[in-house]
Amino acid sequence: MSRIVGIDLGTTNSLVAIAEDGVPRILPDANGRNLVPSILHFPGNGKVLVGDAARERILDDSAHTVFSIKRFMGKGMADVRDDLSLLPFEATPDSDNIIRINIMGRDYTPPELSAFILRELKQNAELALGETVTNAVITVPAYFNDAQRQATKDAGRIAGLDVLRIVNEPTAASLAYGLQEGTEGIIAVYDFGGGTFDISILKLSEGIFEVLSTSGDTYLGGDDIDKVLMRMVIDELETSPEGDRLQQVRVAVRQAKEDLSSAGEGHIDLPGFNYARKIGRGEYEELIAPVIERTLVPCRQALKDAGLKPGEIDQVVMVGGSTRIPAVRERVGELFGREPHTELDPDEVVALGAAVQADILAGSRRDTLLLDVTPLSLGIETIGGVMSKIIPRNSTIPASATEAFTTYVEGQTNVKIHVLQGERELLEDCRSLAEFDLKNIPPMPAGLPRIEVKFLIDADGILSVSACELRTGKYQSIEVKPTYGLTDEQVERMILESFEFAETDIEARLVIEARNETETVLKACASSRNQPQYGALPDKERQEIEIAVARLEDTVKSEDHEAIRDAIEALNEATMGLAEMIMNAAVFKALKNKRVKEVQ
Amino acid sequence: MNYFEVFELEPTLGLDTVQLEKKFHALSREHHPDYHTDRSPEERERALRMTALVNDAYRILRNSTRRAEYLVRSAGFEVDGSKVPQALLTEVFEINEELEGLRSARQSGNDTESLIKGLEEFRTQIATRRNDYETELQALSSEWDRLISSGAGEEERNEFLKRLADIISQSAYIRNLEREIDEEVSQ
Repeated sequence: MSRIVGIDLGTTNSLVAIAEDGVPRILPDANGRNLVPSILHFPGNGKVLVGDAARERILDDSAHTVFSIKRFMGKGMADVRDDLSLLPFEATPDSDNIIRINIMGRDYTPPELSAFILRELKQNAELALGETVTNAVITVPAYFNDAQRQATKDAGRIAGLDVLRIVNEPTAASLAYGLQEGTEGIIAVYDFGGGTFDISILKLSEGIFEVLSTSGDTYLGGDDIDKVLMRMVIDELETSPEGDRLQQVRVAVRQAKEDLSSAGEGHIDLPGFNYARKIGRGEYEELIAPVIERTLVPCRQALKDAGLKPGEIDQVVMVGGSTRIPAVRERVGELFGREPHTELDPDEVVALGAAVQADILAGSRRDTLLLDVTPLSLGIETIGGVMSKIIPRNSTIPASATEAFTTYVEGQTNVKIHVLQGERELLEDCRSLAEFDLKNIPPMPAGLPRIEVKFLIDADGILSVSACELRTGKYQSIEVKPTYGLTDEQVERMILESFEFAETDIEARLVIEARNETETVLKACASSRNQPQYGALPDKERQEIEIAVARLEDTVKSEDHEAIRDAIEALNEATMGLAEMIMNAAVFKALKNKRVKEVQ
Repeated sequence: MNYFEVFELEPTLGLDTVQLEKKFHALSREHHPDYHTDRSPEERERALRMTALVNDAYRILRNSTRRAEYLVRSAGFEVDGSKVPQALLTEVFEINEELEGLRSARQSGNDTESLIKGLEEFRTQIATRRNDYETELQALSSEWDRLISSGAGEEERNEFLKRLADIISQSAYIRNLEREIDEEVSQ
């Protein structure tokens, strides 16, 4: 099997990692950066900018810049109306069951937008590894429901990835921590990211990472802290800002938030609004206390579900950028009565864990096994609009349940089944997952047919359904129409459409990279040859440099990236002596200048 | 394969949970889809279904109440937690009256304090009852396990399972009633 990468597809930042010889490491982009901001910009030339390049455009072209896409995955319009009011992009009216965001006259669904980020990560991984990457493990918040998980898988497919596993973020983090420390016992993972919150409680024993319970809120994160601060600023402004100006407020409060994690006060400066204010640590903590408090409710729930008291937790691990906030660490420490672990970079730990899980799937690791759970109860609609639970939350996955159905009318050939996810008893308080028909039931008197329906939640936490009519022994294929999300045909179409954005293949990109580097190296070499030191070189060395330059200028025209790299290497070697002389001269000059200044 | 067979156990009710967990981990290592990614689609499907069965079995067997319910149900006996146990008829009648009173007092905005207090007293009484049932269930469970190890015949087993089903139904009823009171009181 070709290599499998681990991907953390985050609300704010995304990362890709790989495990080599059992050790996971982040694969940086061409500029050596580990974090790819989960931001897209559509400059209008048919191209899409991803990451840092897109982030730069948030302030001056916010209408064509999309961020926090993860919050829209697997959601309908009614779920996100409140959020959209603070965002600069527009959803089309046809967004009841899947959000469609209109950019430059074209509608994009969240999986398509996420696919742009995944494609960027895929390319970064290919550049770093020098080989094609098609297999991936992608992480999601543990509390993601079926539709959100499916949307993430769809995004992977659209990006040209074979998604071998969807892994829960806190569980992935526990892998990275647990392996590093060789930990045994009960650990709680508190994962407070940009847009989502998860708490998972695990038992680690002899390489088995068994999740005991999980809880969370897929709509609670650092974004909500930004929102609190934004509302404060907007209330204090004379006119309420829109579009680009709204984004200026967002960027300013985010800066203040980040500063307040280490400094005693933050500054919100908005010169364009004639607005500047200081915010002290005390005032800030008071403002955001309700947001932090909201994370503690799922923590208590998870403890209860695991049948544990706070004191029985051996270790607490902090994950996600929002755990950099000192007040968060304090409150979590108070709840569990112990100092939480913050040794690993909270932005990177999930991707590192995903790489470890990828390593397990690749078959290189037989000492470690993850046993995860489903975060939400699965049920079916019964008479009177009541949900009847068939697989309770916190069941280890894969998990299954079999239910028998029958007919109510003589000769009835169809039975409608409505699948739900949630904890409440009433249908209207649960999330509709899918509806399907049991078709072609042999006509019989009412109540006589016996159709057994098997519900199976796989290791990704995604549901599949099969049915069998017991009297005829006939199996049925069931077409499950998701309530929120894309059908298979829609995903297929998006895969085709995505090719227009697809970059050339990895070989071609490696050549482009090598050519770019050639340009840089030749330029540097030309300027060195203008230095007086060049003339002072022995003839032989000058000749070697000229040969190497000629060779590189010639090879760069070929399509062989390895040959180009070799030629670059040869030129670097030939100019080593020259470079050293120039460097020494520069240092000497700097020292001389300093002495002169000191004397003055 | 029934859940006891999955764990290679006799259908007994007293279980060593530490041993059960060990077996669960061993079965997981043997069947988990994560360790079968390089196999054929059919083998992967089998790994998925087998692991689901192991997990379903562990979820039921690790919990003594669910284990007992599963035992009697899989032998064809019904567990019905909605039937009022004979011994509780008068108490249940009074509790339902109190619950009704509390609901109408809430609707008309009357004082509910004394009603809630009354219900809480009933709640304590019922908890004692539930303890009695649980003690009885435990005694029956050990007796059942002795029956199994002595190799009792089907007739004797079925007679006993029927008694078990009754007790389980009754304690299920009490648990439901407790939940109903808790929900109403905490509103």
